[in-house]
Amino acid sequence: MPKVIYVGDAGQEHAVDAVPGESVMVTAVKNGVPGIIGECGGNASCATCHVWVRDEFLPLVGHPDDMEEDLLDMAVSERREGSRLSCQIRVAAELDGLTVDVPPEQP
Amino acid sequence: MLRQEINELLTQTGPRTPMGELFRQYWMPACLAEELPEDGCPPIRLKLLSERLVAFRDSKGQYGLIDEFCAHRGVSLWFGRNEEGGLRCPYHGWKYDTTGQCLDVPSEADNSSFAENVKLTSYPLVKIGDVLWTYMGDPATQPPLPEFEFAQVAPEQTYTSKRWQQSNWMQAFEGGIDSSHVTFLHSGGLKTDPLFKGAKGNEYNLNDTKPFFEVADSEGGLFVGARRNAEDGKYYWRITPWVMPCFTMVPPRGDHPIHGHFWIPIDDENCWAYSFDYHPVRALTPEERQAMIDGHGVHSENIPGTYRPTANMDNDYLMDREAQQRGEYYSGVKGIAIQDSSLQESMGPIVDRTKERLVPADSGIIKARQKLRKAALALRDQGVTPPGVDPAHHRVRSAAVVLPQAESFLDAARDDVRVHPGMPVASV
Repeated sequence: MPKVIYVGDAGQEHAVDAVPGESVMVTAVKNGVPGIIGECGGNASCATCHVWVRDEFLPLVGHPDDMEEDLLDMAVSERREGSRLSCQIRVAAELDGLTVDVPPEQP
Repeated sequence: MLRQEINELLTQTGPRTPMGELFRQYWMPACLAEELPEDGCPPIRLKLLSERLVAFRDSKGQYGLIDEFCAHRGVSLWFGRNEEGGLRCPYHGWKYDTTGQCLDVPSEADNSSFAENVKLTSYPLVKIGDVLWTYMGDPATQPPLPEFEFAQVAPEQTYTSKRWQQSNWMQAFEGGIDSSHVTFLHSGGLKTDPLFKGAKGNEYNLNDTKPFFEVADSEGGLFVGARRNAEDGKYYWRITPWVMPCFTMVPPRGDHPIHGHFWIPIDDENCWAYSFDYHPVRALTPEERQAMIDGHGVHSENIPGTYRPTANMDNDYLMDREAQQRGEYYSGVKGIAIQDSSLQESMGPIVDRTKERLVPADSGIIKARQKLRKAALALRDQGVTPPGVDPAHHRVRSAAVVLPQAESFLDAARDDVRVHPGMPVASV
């Protein structure tokens, strides 16, 4: 099973075994990772699953679509290069070890 | 949720704000033509985009929109005397024409040129249809006159009203592109309102409370498609056009007249809701026109002599909880327009969007905010003319169509959302 590593604001790490095909948001919520809410259930509407994807994984996770772009522009607390809505990233074998930073607060 | 600085960007429309500058790129309704009914009639006070202005119609029939205050010592020219060829301040007799040019300062010597050097800020005011339109931006970039169909059909085919709404323009506008509230808030009206009832489409509306939204870019703004289930594996699509910055149309119902709105900022905490109804093929029937005057459909019943709704914030919108129990009005408030204004005003003058929780049904709202924000910043930073300025962008219609499930709404209905003068709208 691929692992996803969520790094909290104070550096605390949560390494979680993920089911391929599920989103990084769902994986976090199922495993009780703090700081990822996913209020709209994964529809790219609420922006409460914002994460910063570490640089080395950015080429692997693809690009946000239009609606995700809009929300990253307008709704998240701090948009950075690696900003993504984790509900829009599907876990896959080649993403094993995917590391994302969780913002100190979600909208 | 929306970051606070973006909420401020979208909601502040005074002079020199980014959104204020955006609004100043467009022709927009300043008032109804009925407010200046004849040559030499009394002037009216107007506030638009946080600027206080006076509109008047001089003795020769020319319309003018000028700074409200006399250049001398700041008296409101609403008190002015509309005399031969101009508006005269009653304090010391200074007189202005419709361009704001001072014509006369009586205290000056007869050969004085003092008045020539006094000019008030002024904006053009042009009658098209039942509306007087203004353009409050740089004269050098004044676009051609607007070409919205409701203002271009024959007078007997169209009707426009307005009402004062005590909220920021943006929360009123967002209601105009949010089709999903109709099934709830306006469910009573779909069954009983003389300007809505009886259409086949109403059944689809009432039977499917979970519309799916698809949003497509248009040249002037967006088309928001709301999809509900119809019969035989088909979908009922209600298509709402938005032309930037604040023109929206409601999808039609049967052969009823088609309607829509302009949401015009008065200042940051008040706006005008202009509501129009027109039929592109035929005259409005006397019954339809009377229903509009009486405040049915998208119109409102106003306090006589004013544009303030009879049901307003100060009387709790005449809330009738028994009518709510009977199922007559879903919210207990009577009338489509006041059902909307009561809830939008209840959010407060400028809703705090950092606290909202959006869902997929709000995708049109998210897209519209982003388009407004980008256009305001592109104008400010690069001088880019925003979408919706070109009159070609105005020639859109709403549509209500039943399509096979496999069809993309905009591909299938592209022709239905364009204006075809004299041809009926696409409506079920």
